[in-house]
Amino acid sequence: MFGIPTHIVLPTLLGSLLGGLICSLMGVCVVRMNLSSLGFAMSHAAFAGAALGLAVSVLDPLWMAILFAVATAAMLGPLSEVSRLEPNTIVGATFPVMMALGLIFINLAPSASVGSGALSLLWGSVLGITMADVLKLGVLAFVMVVLFIGFGKELLAILLDRKLAAASGIHVRVYYYLVLFLTAVTVALALRITGGLLIYALMILPASAAYQLLYDIKKVFFLAPLLGVLSALGGFLLSLAADLPIGASIVLTAAAIFFACVGLSPKRRRRQQRAD
Amino acid sequence: MGSLAVELNSVTAIYEGERTPALHGISLAVEPCELVGIVGPNGAGKTTLLEVINGLLPIISGKVSVLGQPVLPSSHRLRRQIAYLPQDLFFEPSTPFLAKDVVLMGRYAKVGPFRFPDRSDRSLAWEAMKEVGILDLAARPIGRLSGGQQRKALLARVLAKRPQVLLLDEPTTSLDPASKEEISHLVLQIHHELSLATLTVSHESGPLLDRADRVLTIEEGCLVSDAPGNGAATPITARAQCP
Repeated sequence: MFGIPTHIVLPTLLGSLLGGLICSLMGVCVVRMNLSSLGFAMSHAAFAGAALGLAVSVLDPLWMAILFAVATAAMLGPLSEVSRLEPNTIVGATFPVMMALGLIFINLAPSASVGSGALSLLWGSVLGITMADVLKLGVLAFVMVVLFIGFGKELLAILLDRKLAAASGIHVRVYYYLVLFLTAVTVALALRITGGLLIYALMILPASAAYQLLYDIKKVFFLAPLLGVLSALGGFLLSLAADLPIGASIVLTAAAIFFACVGLSPKRRRRQQRAD
Repeated sequence: MGSLAVELNSVTAIYEGERTPALHGISLAVEPCELVGIVGPNGAGKTTLLEVINGLLPIISGKVSVLGQPVLPSSHRLRRQIAYLPQDLFFEPSTPFLAKDVVLMGRYAKVGPFRFPDRSDRSLAWEAMKEVGILDLAARPIGRLSGGQQRKALLARVLAKRPQVLLLDEPTTSLDPASKEEISHLVLQIHHELSLATLTVSHESGPLLDRADRVLTIEEGCLVSDAPGNGAATPITARAQCP
């Protein structure tokens, strides 16, 4: 395809599609639970973790990215619950720290690993995805689908209203942390597709686009991953056709789909009619 | 006589970060099938009392029991027997949930994880919608219903849940007079039909307080009066039949 050997195209394409799927599926929960800024902090934490992995050669950047993202989720969740600060204030203070740490770690990294490694953390390196990476993304997608089906009712109740769900006997905290944990792992595993700076867009844009079109959240859970996969596929083809970076092309495609959905949104039209 | 539906012994509760207790040494006993009105000025502790009974707010001293079991923040199983309608819960127009799904959620905690609502759960939800008169709104998005219709959907959710204790926080607040009347009568109907112990918070008079067996007055976190309501004068045969 486009003169690129199949053994490179296939894992790249599969990785992008799976990345689009898991990010947008997770995005349905993240957007509805207003965790957008928390996820933004997690993606920066994953970047910092991966940068530490580059700096210290004995550490694996992927596992460090997961560790940092999960630790951020574990720290920010309770902090936003118990502190008197607005969650956005805490997150606003966290993500520049993570970004700064990431840049310091890259600065400390041996020069051999800095060049392509650092850039791939920032902007993604989807062409460097191996079949082993695809397998990890596939396992996460499978686990996510199983959990979403198994705990679907409880998640739906929480997505409607957390207080109502807690009052009805659902263990809200457990599911809240499950969502945070899955978000952290998703961000860390999909980091190579668009890089630390853009990964969060792939999570938010397809889900937000689906929310624009639908009133039934069960359908949103089907449409959002579909739009995520379309964004990945469209971005992949755009990148090859126009010789652009793949990660950025995927995000631009997702943004184009989002704006198209905003334009077509029955919710927006209804708001406009009311205003008129 | 069986165990009390709700029992509080010298309960004190305080919100995190606050210095003054929101509830102070409250003792209270509610029989099954009793309809109890709770009145008091804003900030008196009425909502706190309901949150303590439901275990949503931990207490710092005393003891709370529902259906003979101690209430703790971790009492998720016990909470399946309690229905709670929080104050001012209205959904945004863009809320991506259909009315029928919101009602069916009343069954979710009882169904449990890794299991799906079966035909009997769906049938209970359907009957509940029929009973409160929103069957024709079942497939409409919940956020696009009027305030009164949303309240009805939430009451249908309560009905579908089949609880033993019902906690209502200002159930008719922010509604127009006709909806207030309608919702009040629906609550009374559900209270009688399911033989519930019902505690309803209100800051204004209306059919619910008029028909209450007892009316509690709370001021500054303390229970200042516990008086028989008009409902207490109702002949016992006209009230809910308790097992």
